[in-house]
Amino acid sequence: MLTGFCALLHKDLTLERRGGRVVIELCVLSLLVLVVLVVAYGPETGGRPESAAGALWVALILSGLPGASLAVAAEHENDCLTGLRLSPLEPATIYAAKVAAVALSMAVSQAATLLLLVLFFNLQFDLNLLRLIPILLLGTLGLCALSTLLGTITSRLRAGEMLLALLTAPLYVPELIAGVKASAAVLSGASLAAVVLPLKILAACDLLFVVCGYLLFEYLAG
Amino acid sequence: MTTALVEALSLSVMFGLRPVLTEVNLKLERGRAAVITGANGAGKSTLVHALCGLIGLSAGQARMFGQDIRRLRADDRRRVGVTLHRSMLYLNLTARENLEFYAKLNACQKPSEQAARWLERLGLGAVAEQRARDLSRGMEQRLALARAMIGEPELVLFDEPFASLDRQGAAVVGELIQELLARGGAALLTSHEPLTVKGAEPENYQLVSGRLLPAAAQPSRRTAWRWMLT
Ligand SMILES: Nc1ncnc2c1ncn2[C@@H]1O[C@H](COP(=O)(O)OP(=O)(O)OP(=O)(O)O)[C@@H](O)[C@H]1O
Ligand SMILES: [Mg+2]
Repeated sequence: MLTGFCALLHKDLTLERRGGRVVIELCVLSLLVLVVLVVAYGPETGGRPESAAGALWVALILSGLPGASLAVAAEHENDCLTGLRLSPLEPATIYAAKVAAVALSMAVSQAATLLLLVLFFNLQFDLNLLRLIPILLLGTLGLCALSTLLGTITSRLRAGEMLLALLTAPLYVPELIAGVKASAAVLSGASLAAVVLPLKILAACDLLFVVCGYLLFEYLAG
Repeated sequence: MTTALVEALSLSVMFGLRPVLTEVNLKLERGRAAVITGANGAGKSTLVHALCGLIGLSAGQARMFGQDIRRLRADDRRRVGVTLHRSMLYLNLTARENLEFYAKLNACQKPSEQAARWLERLGLGAVAEQRARDLSRGMEQRLALARAMIGEPELVLFDEPFASLDRQGAAVVGELIQELLARGGAALLTSHEPLTVKGAEPENYQLVSGRLLPAAAQPSRRTAWRWMLT
């Protein structure tokens, strides 16, 4: 199972390195989002940690969701997903490797987003920024797990069934609320106690999405 | 009792309300090959998909190695090699990388050596470092066949294996099938025209109106009419 996982991940990263589609697309998107928000907020509100946290998460969503659909679509290009389904791999392994690959590309683009955020919103390079990292990692994992799962569903649908994509959107909400709250708290220098609850919610959502994807992928990809 | 490597038991497939395969019965034992011919749209590819468990059946059962296809163990999936219309190759990976990837999925001992061996075998040595996107149609078909063979399968299901192959490519595929049968494997091939497999006497079938008929008893035009009228 581990060899299969590694082979898949290696393949996805090679493709990514070659095409560079996901990472570049995500970086460009988050850059544009940050520009729009920093201009819209203006100098006063822009300086507040809440604004920075909001901008960060908007960039995250806008870059995370297309990332997962691109990664899933790549598997459909030449019926490669059928090739994987015919192989001895467990469907759950395919899902895990896909999530890992998407999460890695997203993490790269997030590093860029974070850098831009610091520049645009005049944040300090300090400990608070470091404390943001676990929150971002948890958020990325959850977003990737869910969007890979939903991307797998929607990639098989015809246009008329796209309503499903709309209906599943609320699933992201708890993760987002917790993520924004935790980021804002951390950026404004609040104590650790203030972030424990949002972090717990983030972790719970992650667990839920990963387990669901792991169990359901077999039926969704089929 | 020998278990059949692949078996269809009254297998039926419907797309929507339209029956595409009706009550197909097929059994392939070790050392045997079957050739299924049929017109375009007769349902040959659908049969291959159904036998591999890629589409749902409306009735009947598909079995491999004596197990229901939906419950086939991962270890047993390694014993099957399949080619379909689409090559299932990653277009942005090179020919060698594609084979190495599939070798690893099949838990081959030395993926890179296996890949090199199969590239050589199918005459792809010169294009090993080319991306699959840039391969010619026939080269892509050869690579797809190498992909299916790299796990040393016991059972192969090839959907139109000779499509776009030149004479030399077709000869190599013929040899591969011959070797497979000699070591006790089985092969199921589809084609839109009758095939001969060198060194083997394949069972010939024909798909007509979703039914699998022995090609020996091909309905002549008159009996076909009679069959349609009854
Ligand atoms: N996913 C699908 N949904 C609906 N109809 C389908 C689907 N796949 C195949 N069909 C229909 O089933 C019939 C059989 O198709 P199939 O691809 O099995 O034919 P074939 O014998 O392989 O033809 P060819 O020689 O052209 O490859 C066709 O009429 C086709 O339109
Ligand atoms: Mg076909």
